Amino acid sequence: MFNRTEVATGVNIFTRKSEQFKTVNFSIKLKRPLNTEEAANRTVLTNVLQHSNATFQSAAAMRMKLDDLYGTVLYLDTAKQGNEQIILLNVETVNDHYLKTGDVLNEVLALMHTVLFEPNLDEQGLFQQTIVDREKDMVVERIQSVFDDKSRYAQKRLQEILRPNHPVSTSVNGTVEAVQEITPASLKAAYEAMLTEDEIDIFVIGDIDERQMIEALKKAFPFEGRTPIAVPEIPESHATTTYTKETFDTRQGKLHIGYSTPVQFTSPDFPKMQIFNGIFGGYPHAKLFMNVREKESLAYYCSSSYSAQYGLMYVMSGIEQENEEKARRLIDEQLEAIRQGDISDLEIMQTKAMLKNQLKEALDSARGQIELYNQYRELPEEFTVENMSAKWDAVSKEDVVAMATQVTKETVYFLSGEDAK
Amino acid sequence: METIHFEQLEETLHYEKLPNGLEVYILPKKGFSKTFVTFTTKYGSIDRSFVPLGEEEAVTVPDGIAHFLEHKMFEKEDGDVFQKFSQYGASANAFTSFTRTTYLFSATDHIKESTNTLLDFVQQPYFTEQTVNKEKGIIGQEIQMYDDQPDWRVYFGSIESLYHEHPVKIDIAGTVESIDGITAEHLYTCYHTFYHPSNMLLFAIGNVEPEEMMQTIRENQNAKTFAAPQPINRIHVDEASEVAVKERNLEMDVLKPKAYVSFKAREVSLQGRDMMKHELAIQLALDLLYGRSSDFYEEVYQQGWIDESYSYDFSLEEGFGFAMVGSDTAYPNELLAAMKQVMNNAAQQLPFTQQDLERVKRRKIGFNLRALNSIEFIANQFTRYKFNDMNLFDIVPVIEELTVADVKEALTSITGESQQAVFTINPLTKEAQA
Repeated sequence: MFNRTEVATGVNIFTRKSEQFKTVNFSIKLKRPLNTEEAANRTVLTNVLQHSNATFQSAAAMRMKLDDLYGTVLYLDTAKQGNEQIILLNVETVNDHYLKTGDVLNEVLALMHTVLFEPNLDEQGLFQQTIVDREKDMVVERIQSVFDDKSRYAQKRLQEILRPNHPVSTSVNGTVEAVQEITPASLKAAYEAMLTEDEIDIFVIGDIDERQMIEALKKAFPFEGRTPIAVPEIPESHATTTYTKETFDTRQGKLHIGYSTPVQFTSPDFPKMQIFNGIFGGYPHAKLFMNVREKESLAYYCSSSYSAQYGLMYVMSGIEQENEEKARRLIDEQLEAIRQGDISDLEIMQTKAMLKNQLKEALDSARGQIELYNQYRELPEEFTVENMSAKWDAVSKEDVVAMATQVTKETVYFLSGEDAK
Repeated sequence: METIHFEQLEETLHYEKLPNGLEVYILPKKGFSKTFVTFTTKYGSIDRSFVPLGEEEAVTVPDGIAHFLEHKMFEKEDGDVFQKFSQYGASANAFTSFTRTTYLFSATDHIKESTNTLLDFVQQPYFTEQTVNKEKGIIGQEIQMYDDQPDWRVYFGSIESLYHEHPVKIDIAGTVESIDGITAEHLYTCYHTFYHPSNMLLFAIGNVEPEEMMQTIRENQNAKTFAAPQPINRIHVDEASEVAVKERNLEMDVLKPKAYVSFKAREVSLQGRDMMKHELAIQLALDLLYGRSSDFYEEVYQQGWIDESYSYDFSLEEGFGFAMVGSDTAYPNELLAAMKQVMNNAAQQLPFTQQDLERVKRRKIGFNLRALNSIEFIANQFTRYKFNDMNLFDIVPVIEELTVADVKEALTSITGESQQAVFTINPLTKEAQA
């Protein structure tokens, strides 16, 4: 799908020419092993680089430049993938082809260079203290804001209980304490490490000339060769308890359940587990939706999701406080029904059709093409819709039963509001 | 079938109005494997008082009924419609806004089957007392879910403060109490009044062959009989230009306060190209006054009065309109004063030039070109514009012709001090926590 060009050791460019989109999309991914202190520094770093550089020192100046470039979208972010943390520089710009004038693309590349390589430093060569302090505050507030969204908060709590001291429960933003420890010097060290040590993948997709683009990217991002730090194995971790209930002043109770499975993304059983998840709670035809919502009217949402990177599965639902027991029983019953082979041909057929459709739809966006390709290139065989479809088609009812029996319920988290009223 | 070509955008739109009054638009998009079809009625939460089809007297139905009806369309005598869409690998959904109810699916295969399913399930109502009562538990949980979301509360709380009478002040989903009063008979009354094909629009976009799609829709519609189209008699209320409540506070289980100022629009009667011009002019004015390149933004960002939750926007429909700006903030009073000050100053003198305007115009044009990559955006926005006699594909030329004088004129719709309302959400006080 993408053509890979290694420009230096540990630095790769992935290009794809496509006339499908009216814009050109870039995604630069800078990766290293995940840990809380570095995560905090790197997240604050992305904020600092986003809002200020040597040429455009204020957020407003940066914004005006982007406005001039036909509202080019440029943002930095951090993400987590397995046991790695990634700094992302994502850019989307209009294709010159649709404009009457200008050479927007080259200007955008120059701006991306400025953002990464020309930071706004003080006389001592460090990031400006006032900017660092402000962006630390922003990241602290981002971390704390999870509390205000009770379903996100419940999921965070579930993950902390399910997998303590583990990438699942390690935030890409770090912790409030780790952010508060950051200094202009620690940030500078994180910045230099990012440029010289991180493994770097540069993706670009659009109606481009690939050869010219690769040359332009090499010029804009003169990264030197590096041997990326080896990513350690994900540590063993288990739920600290089987049940937790916490009380807040809310109307709706949030029921979140964590399950483990031995099946991860690279396992040959991965497509089977996807089908199992679809039948259990992945879609509106699934057992959880049909029974907990449609039949029993207990919830507006009740669904499962499969996190293949870590071999985990989650069920989440919003319910009346007093229906907790009943909802838990119904959810257990749906899993048990699948284990007993209570699966219709229709359910299997529907789930396969939905998975195929979802994959094809995701490939309709430039961002979707980059992300899916990036994720699936871990697998040994070439990533195509046909290859994935063939794997799903081969999954039988017995396979689904086998997956259901390998799923273990580890812990239940209930965010309740009842005692507060 | 007519075709309309938009040269600069390289898009061709296909259009036909069917004998039963249904308007059908088809926009093929090269390179997409997915087809996205929306089927929308011009009926939303604000349509609570009207003369039912074939009757004389106006009625007022329970709050939240348009949304309730949307939910109930998915259940049929032979089961749940999602089951059918899933067989075709299609993702189906629906949403209800103040002015519209949209049913939709997206799929990469079996498009004809899914299109027929969409048309059939929306055009064959099936409501019983039992199925209606069953839904009350589900929607009750949906309402409570939103009740726990501070951002939702601040948005709807602000609108509620702005309006005295207009039903836009009522939550789209209603309340647990109001939906309890809904009966199957209510649903049929609303259905027959607002779901006539002449009040609806179908939009198909993506990987679609226009003539084939049109033929599918023609055949489906020709096989059904509908009453002759009749004008819908919606009861309108008078609304003063001043806000109903100038200031309101709410306590919730949050860590940081939220502070929002909203501005009620006086000009809410425009339609067509005038409306588009007016709306875009106010949006551009807000970009200049409150956007991320504005002096105001730089100031409050430096002060630490806003964080990443900061947002502003402007909404306009026939009969109501409002701008809103706000953020999570540890300094609600300072931020509120600063936000109001910007608007009050702008009422005296606009702090920007034609050159500044050209810059934000370029950004908006870029935004629109990017948005035209999204078939969901096109389908949803096209319908919204069409229901207000506007054309989505006119946006770029309309932006290009806007001047500072246009922006100044448009902004007067929201600059009056009596049109401002303040809404804050504060963390729980100690007493409430105990």
